[in-house]
Amino acid sequence: MLNDIQTIKNLAREEIEKAHSLKTVHELKIKYLGKKGIFTHKIKSLGLIPQEDRREYGRILNETKNYIEELLAKYENSFKTLELNKTLQTQRIDVTAPGYCIPAGHVHPTTQVLDEIISIFTSLSFNVEEGPEVELDFYNFEALNMHKDHPARDMQDTFYITEDIVLRTHTSSVQVRIMEKTAPPLRVIAPGKVYRCDADVTHIPMFHQLEGFMVDKHVKMSDLKGVLEVFIHMIFGPDTKLRFRPSFFPFTEPSAEIDISCVICKGVGCNVCKNTGWLEILGAGMINPRIFEMAGYAPDQYTGFAFGMGIERIAMLKYGIDDIRLFYENDKRFLEQF
Amino acid sequence: MKASYNWLKEIADFSLLPKELAHALTMAGFEVEGLEEIEGDIILDINVTPNRPDCLSITGLGREISAILEVPFKNKAVNIQKQEGKGPEVEIKNSQLCNRYASRIISGVKVAPSPEWLVKRLETHGFRTSYNIVDVTNYVLLEMGQPLHAFDLDKLADKRIVVKISDSEETFHTLDNEDRKLSKDTLLIWDSEKPVALAGIMGGLNTEVSLSTVNVLLESACFHPASIRRTSKSLNVSSESSYRFERGIDIENVVKALDMAAQMIIEISGGRVSGLTDNYPRHHASKQIIVQHEKINALLGIRIEESFLQNIMSRLGFEIKRAGEKFIVIPPSFRQDVQLDIDVIEEIARLYGYEKIPATLPSIRMQPSPRNERRDLIKSVKNSMAKSGFSEAINYSFINPEILNNLNIPSEDKRRNFILIKNPLRKEELAMRTNLIPALLNNVSLNLNRGEKIIHLFEVSSIFLHSDQKLPNEIIQLTAVCVKDKTASLWKTKHDGFYDIKGVLENLFNELKIREYYLESDKALLEPYLHPGKSCSIMISDEKLGSLGMIHPRVLEAFDIRADVGILEISNLERLQEYRHYKTEFVSLPKFPYVERDIAVIVPMDMTAEKIKREISSIDSDIIETVNLFDIYTGKPIAEDKKSLAFSIRYRASDRTLTDEEVDALHFIIIERLKDTLNAELRS
Repeated sequence: MLNDIQTIKNLAREEIEKAHSLKTVHELKIKYLGKKGIFTHKIKSLGLIPQEDRREYGRILNETKNYIEELLAKYENSFKTLELNKTLQTQRIDVTAPGYCIPAGHVHPTTQVLDEIISIFTSLSFNVEEGPEVELDFYNFEALNMHKDHPARDMQDTFYITEDIVLRTHTSSVQVRIMEKTAPPLRVIAPGKVYRCDADVTHIPMFHQLEGFMVDKHVKMSDLKGVLEVFIHMIFGPDTKLRFRPSFFPFTEPSAEIDISCVICKGVGCNVCKNTGWLEILGAGMINPRIFEMAGYAPDQYTGFAFGMGIERIAMLKYGIDDIRLFYENDKRFLEQF
Repeated sequence: MKASYNWLKEIADFSLLPKELAHALTMAGFEVEGLEEIEGDIILDINVTPNRPDCLSITGLGREISAILEVPFKNKAVNIQKQEGKGPEVEIKNSQLCNRYASRIISGVKVAPSPEWLVKRLETHGFRTSYNIVDVTNYVLLEMGQPLHAFDLDKLADKRIVVKISDSEETFHTLDNEDRKLSKDTLLIWDSEKPVALAGIMGGLNTEVSLSTVNVLLESACFHPASIRRTSKSLNVSSESSYRFERGIDIENVVKALDMAAQMIIEISGGRVSGLTDNYPRHHASKQIIVQHEKINALLGIRIEESFLQNIMSRLGFEIKRAGEKFIVIPPSFRQDVQLDIDVIEEIARLYGYEKIPATLPSIRMQPSPRNERRDLIKSVKNSMAKSGFSEAINYSFINPEILNNLNIPSEDKRRNFILIKNPLRKEELAMRTNLIPALLNNVSLNLNRGEKIIHLFEVSSIFLHSDQKLPNEIIQLTAVCVKDKTASLWKTKHDGFYDIKGVLENLFNELKIREYYLESDKALLEPYLHPGKSCSIMISDEKLGSLGMIHPRVLEAFDIRADVGILEISNLERLQEYRHYKTEFVSLPKFPYVERDIAVIVPMDMTAEKIKREISSIDSDIIETVNLFDIYTGKPIAEDKKSLAFSIRYRASDRTLTDEEVDALHFIIIERLKDTLNAELRS
């Protein structure tokens, strides 16, 4: 009897080892372990074994059955893996073909730079305010100490709607508007579009500026230097040098023009800085007390500073854009670079 | 202002090289914009700001350089050796407009071309040259900053000068050979009979110095800046003279300049100089300005020594006296720009050196900053559009009104009522735009012409409409345009472009948490530039917020666009604020699974998906969770005037797992309802 089991075991092993497909393994499984399989039959006929041998016989029978089961499982598994690998191979795709996506759009570089500048100044606790683009001559000029016959008006070519209404030539127009409705202390930035009527083809009739001003008791010119230094270092890097030199704006006194060391050549001299190593980037100064009078502030109680900058200029320096006209042509190959 | 390096050296005793001088000037507020070498000399191109007319001459610049560098100023002495007879007869009728008029007659001159050195100096400084007499007046203007004019004395009726405003409109022929139409009240120089010069701007042809001139009347005057500027602006004529008068000249320098010119004329062209006529009705009054030492320090953030202060003031030619705790400062006559203590402080800062002012940070009182809701909205909109794949365009705010013809916008539409620009340079700048569409369609056209096939652009900008206020309404609009690629592409979708742009709207409103909107295809509200079959209005509670759709083929043709363009327009972005939900409320996650069933119905062509959806949702049951359209089909075997719509309905109960029987029963009710009320056929 035991020999009989050994023979079946050997035969089964032989057959399983020779199996060449998952199907054969399944057939062998039925043959040996199925409902009508050899082992099932043997187990059913266990009752025919004499009582004293039955226990031993049963143990061996079981051991052998387990052995066959394990062997079958092992072969089944390896054939399954083989077959899956084959299927996976046939499912191979070209991973170098482009992915499917809806590419995200790009916010205009002017907006991006403006947002960056605004976040720097809001971190210094300045508030954002806005004013109209079509503006009264009063706020654009008169209130800023530029009466109708002031030669400083020649510094800006103005688009007129009527005698008294202009397209604002600078965001400084927001200063007196805000002062009229807000009592000091003030820390304000005012971004927006401005317009200049210039026949020169390299100039554009509309661009963006950001005006900033602070009014309080005891605001000093050294504070203006400090605030602008923080700003320039945040936007162009801490190695950027600043240079303050006297200038003239009717609405600030003293007035200053601020240069930064050329961000392209690091001050060595190049085309962009016209070999001077410096780039003009901001106009600024201490608010002229006449402006406070215009706004109804007590001029001897408050002092303040104001500054203004061109956004496109900063964007051009940040990104190395060499032609300002590209900004508003809206070629998507330009827009999608930022 | 152009200035010769060598000439400046004659005035100020400095030893800096041209580049060093340029740097010193720049750092003192006179930006040197260029250095040009001309025949052994360097010409500096100096930007003289409008407040410093005293530096619109070589002498003025030399004086400034001597102050900046603390080097001697070599003021030229002028005196006329021999004077014969009386000066000319001059009468000033409007002394508020002409504060001083000095003149001399020079008789027996020989008019001829100028000597070479004089020609060279004028030409290197950008002046045109003429005869010697005229060249001398320009030379003195350049050296002294005082505009001069020479009349042919024998052409002046009664050899007399009257300064007065015109009492009627006049036509006047200026020496540049132009007829000038003068308004009443223009300040003119007259002889006994006629006008002979536009005061301070340009002489007349009638009394011009010519080769036959023998006797000249030389004018050196001081006119009121605003009056000169007004005339110069209204006639659109400006000259070296008017440029200086507008900004203000040194009234105390008038006679010296006259004498320098007279002396030069007799040296160059011969002749005899008459006595001086100096009509000086309004004398210069020197201004006393009180300056507090502490204010200087407080405003600049420095500590300046009194001795340094005194030093700076005297270098600049200001008198300074101590009066207790204060200083009394008297600026020189050539510094009319210095009026207030703040102006004096600027002068001190300038020579103290801006570079030496420290950088400090202000100490502030903390305050909460108000939220700028408008900016927040714009920022959210821009970000949402970018997420949907759209890039931001920015166009000029101008428009050529005619372009609205291309959009079929009727003449009575408010978008045709433009804010016009008085002085446009180009026809594209005739007016302020009333909508963003033409610019964006032009952007589409440009990009297509440059070979781009997929275009997704949006703009958020102000448009300008007339209002009942003084200033126009500035309204923020959003417009997006979308062109999908029609050529072969790798991952193709074949749906109508309308659904692309509609998806953008859905994303946007989802982002802004705007829920109560609906789309309306009522023809009365549709925009004339949209495809009538593929467009609609965006509505919230009967208010039209904008439009959505495909551009009308006629409009595409007018803009020369050979592609289908989808468009989304929100005509007043700030209106959205009202409909936004700011609060986010959490809804518990469902605890039980859903059951999904599909349904496909055949309906007439003009039946809308929305109607069917609404019909299904209206069934009284709390287990219909969502109804989603997943297919629209036309074509065989469905009849030509019909279409098949397939929906997937999701059922879920909040308190139990649904049984198949329950769902089947409801699903059957839905089918019956659609059959009954919408005449739908079930597609098997």
